[in-house]
Amino acid sequence: MKRASLRASLVIIVVALIAGSAAYAGLLPSYWVFLGTSVLITGVALQSLGLVAGRTGMIALCQMSFTGVGAWTVGYLNIAEAPGGLPIWILVGGLAAVPFGVAIGLPALRLRGINLAIVTLSFATAFDTILATMTYPGQTDFLQVPRPELFDSDEGYFVFVLLFYVAIAVALEIISRTRLGASWLAVRHSERAAAAHGVSIATAKLSAFAISAFVAGISGGLLAGYLGTLVAENFSMMQSLSLYAVSVMAGAHFAEGAIIGGLLVVMFPELLRRLDWPQDIGNVFFAIGATQALASGETMSQTFRRQFRKLLPAPAPKAGDATGQNLPKAVERTAGPALTIEGLTVRYGSVVALNNVSLKVAAGTVAGLIGPNGAGKSTFIDAVAGFLSSYQGSVRLGNKPLEGVPAHQRARVGVRRTWQTNRIAPELTVGGYLALAAKGLSAGETKAVLDWLDCPHPDTLMASVDAGTRRLLDVAGVVAARPAVVLLDEPAAGQSHEETLRLGQRIAEIPKLFGSAVLLVEHDMDLVRAVCSEVTVLDFGQVIAAGPPARVLSERAVKKAYLGIEEESVAA
Amino acid sequence: MNALLTSAVAGLTAGGTYALLGVCAVFTYRLVAVVNFTGAAIGTAGTFVLIALFEAGFPIWPSVLAGIAAGTLTGVAVGYIMTRWFGEAGASTKAAVTVALLVGLMAVGLRLTGGQHPHNMPELLPGSAFRLAGVEVTIASVLTIGLAVLFTILSDLFLNRTKVGLNLRALADRPMAAELLGVRVQLLSLLVWGMTGAFTTFALMIIAPQRSPNFMTLSLLVVPALAAALVGAFRSFWWTLAGGIALGIVEGLASSIDSISQYRSAIPFLVVLAVLLWSQREARWDEAR
Repeated sequence: MKRASLRASLVIIVVALIAGSAAYAGLLPSYWVFLGTSVLITGVALQSLGLVAGRTGMIALCQMSFTGVGAWTVGYLNIAEAPGGLPIWILVGGLAAVPFGVAIGLPALRLRGINLAIVTLSFATAFDTILATMTYPGQTDFLQVPRPELFDSDEGYFVFVLLFYVAIAVALEIISRTRLGASWLAVRHSERAAAAHGVSIATAKLSAFAISAFVAGISGGLLAGYLGTLVAENFSMMQSLSLYAVSVMAGAHFAEGAIIGGLLVVMFPELLRRLDWPQDIGNVFFAIGATQALASGETMSQTFRRQFRKLLPAPAPKAGDATGQNLPKAVERTAGPALTIEGLTVRYGSVVALNNVSLKVAAGTVAGLIGPNGAGKSTFIDAVAGFLSSYQGSVRLGNKPLEGVPAHQRARVGVRRTWQTNRIAPELTVGGYLALAAKGLSAGETKAVLDWLDCPHPDTLMASVDAGTRRLLDVAGVVAARPAVVLLDEPAAGQSHEETLRLGQRIAEIPKLFGSAVLLVEHDMDLVRAVCSEVTVLDFGQVIAAGPPARVLSERAVKKAYLGIEEESVAA
Repeated sequence: MNALLTSAVAGLTAGGTYALLGVCAVFTYRLVAVVNFTGAAIGTAGTFVLIALFEAGFPIWPSVLAGIAAGTLTGVAVGYIMTRWFGEAGASTKAAVTVALLVGLMAVGLRLTGGQHPHNMPELLPGSAFRLAGVEVTIASVLTIGLAVLFTILSDLFLNRTKVGLNLRALADRPMAAELLGVRVQLLSLLVWGMTGAFTTFALMIIAPQRSPNFMTLSLLVVPALAAALVGAFRSFWWTLAGGIALGIVEGLASSIDSISQYRSAIPFLVVLAVLLWSQREARWDEAR
C-alpha cells in the first residue's frame, strides 16, 4: 500500500474510533446515536454513488433501486432463516445488486454518459412499480430483521454500521489509488486518452458500476437491520434523485463528502422538523446546492479541502526519497520495420483525408511525419492508433496486422500515442498518471523517467502542473510503458526554444533507452532535422516526399507545400 | 381482435403526448444542446396553474391560457438558469443540472399542490372524434397526435429551412461562437425554452385527466419522452414522433393484458435498453473527447 493511501486510511480509522467509542460509552444522547446511524447508512449509499457519479463522471439516477435490491435480499434471507446472520446477509445483498448494476451499465458503455442518466431514471421508475407490488419479506408476519446480538442496542448498531462504513471507505481509498482507480478518473476526463493508455473503457466503467451497486446493496442491508422492516417508499425514484443531488452538492467520492452528504440528508429534515417547517423543502435546498456546485465546479468537500490546505503550510517536497538513477530497462527489439503502413486511405464523407499513404518506421530509429496544417497528420495517428471506425489499407506492427484491433488493445500490444491537446485528468498526481500510463513501474523508475524529462515530483497534483509540462508528461507516460512504437503528436508545441532543443535530445535517446521506435509529428523543422533519420511529408492527404531530412526538406514541392507558393516568387 | 384494437387506440392519447414531449426534447437538444430532464415538470407546473384556477372557480379556457403562460414562464426560467450559468458547460454537466432542477421543481410542486392529494382535473375536450373500425377515437388523442405532428413539421422546417435554424444547429455546442457571429443566442435560447414549455404544458393538460394528476406522476412523463427521443437518436424528429406514438400504443396494449398491466410503466425502460443496445452495435468515440 502506498504511503498516501495509508495516511488517508489512518485518518478515517482514527476518526471512526473516536466516534465509535463516544457512542458506545454513552457520551452521546441515544437519539443522536440513532440519527448518527442513519447518517452513516446514507453515507454508505452516497459512497456508492460517488464512485459512479464523482469518479467516473456519469449520471446515475437509480442508486436507491440497488439499495432496495440489497434490502429485499436481506429480508428474504431472514425469513428463509439463512445461516450466517445479518453480516453475511448484508454481503449477499450487496452481491445480489451487482448483476443489476452491470446490466444497467451495459447499454451505456460505448455511448455518452447522458444515456446512462436516461437508462437509470427509466430503471428507477420501472423498479418503483415492481417494488410497489412486493411487500417487504416478513412484514405480514411481523417478522423483523434481527440485529446481531453483540450490536443489538442502538449504540451497538451504530458501531456495527460504523465498521461497515470504515471498511468501505478504506477499501475505496485504496482502490482509488490503484491503476483501476486512476483509469476511472481518466475515463471521466477523456475516454480516448484512457484507451490510448491501454485502458479498456468497458472494463473501467463496468467495474465502477459493479462495485458501486455492491456498496449500494450493502447500504440497503444495513438499513434493513436498522429499521427491521421496510417499505417500497424508502427506495423510490425520488429518493434516488435527491441522493444524486446531494452527492453532486457534497462531493460523495470523498470519504468526508459522503459524511457531509449523509448529515445533510438526515439532519436537514430534522432541523426543519424542529423549526416546525415542512420537511420536504429539503429537496429544494439540495437542488439549489447541486446547481451551485455544478456552476462553480466545486463540491462542498473540495471547498473544505481547499480552505483546509490554506490553513496548513504546504509540505516541502521531500528530497531523495526515491533515487532517480535507474530508468526502466529497455525492451530488446529485433531489427527491421517496427511499423509498416501500406496504402492507408481515410475518407470523411466525400473528403479524402488520407490518400494511399505508405510509410515505414524502422526499429531503433526516429522517423518524422511533417506537413502543413490540415495535411492529415493527426488523422494518420488516429488511424494507426485505432481511433477511426474505418480506414482502407493496412497497418502492421512488426509482422502483426492491426486491422480489427480496438484502440486499447493496440496500445497494449505496442502502439502508443500522445495528444496535441491536454487530456490528462487534473485529479491525478504525476506519479498516479505514470502508473496509469505504464503498468508496473517501480517508484524509483517513475522518478527516473520524470527526472529524465525534467518533470515535477510524483506527488505533485496534475492540476498544478502547467500546460507545457503536461505535454512532456504525456511523452514520459508513453515511453515509460516501453512500447514497440511511440507516436508523438507535436510534443514541442508550446515549448520554448531551449526546451525544444532539450526535448529533441531526449526524443533522439528514446530508441536506445526504451527500445521504442518513434514516429514524430512536428512543425518545428529544426527539431525534425535534428532527430529524424527519415522524414515523410504529407500535403492534402498525399505523400509528396520521403527520405532523409536533409534531402527532403530542400525539395521544391515540400517548400511549396509549406509556403503555399513557389520559392522563386518569394525571393522575387 | 377488436378488443386489441380498442386498447391500442386507448394508448393513442398517451402516445401523442410522449411523441410531443419527445420531439420537444430533441428540439431542445439540437438547438441548445441540453438533454432536458425537466421537460415534463415544466409542463406540469403550467397544468397545475390551470387546476388551481379551475378549482378556484375560474372559467376553463381563460384558465388554460393562464396555465400555458405559466408553463412558458417556467420554461424560460429554467432556460435562463441554463444559458446564464451553463451556456459553455459540457453536455453531461448540463444534463446533471436539469436533473438537479427536476428535483427542485418536483419538491416545490409537491409542496404547493399538496403531495399525492387528488385534484379535480377537467377534461378539456371530452368525447369522440370519429370511429375507426368500430372503435371510438377520442378528440384528445387526435389533438395530441395532431399537435405532435405539427410541432415535428415546424421543428423540421425551422432547423432545415431557415437561416437562423441552420446557424443555431451549427453552433449549438458553441454559444459563444454564435454570439460572436451576431446571433442573439440568449434571446433565441430563451425562445426555445419558452416555446417547448408552452407546447408541453398544453399536451400535459390533455393527458392529465387520464393519469392520477399529481405533480410527480406528471413530471415523470419525461421518462417515456426521453425514450422516444432515443428512438430518434436525439436527431430525427420523425423517428421520435413514431417512437412516442408506438410507445403509447404498446402501453395501451399492455394495460389490456391483466398479467402484465401493473408493470406497464416498465415499458419505457425496456425500450431504452433495446434502443441503446442496438445503437452501440459499432464502437464509436465521443467526438468531443
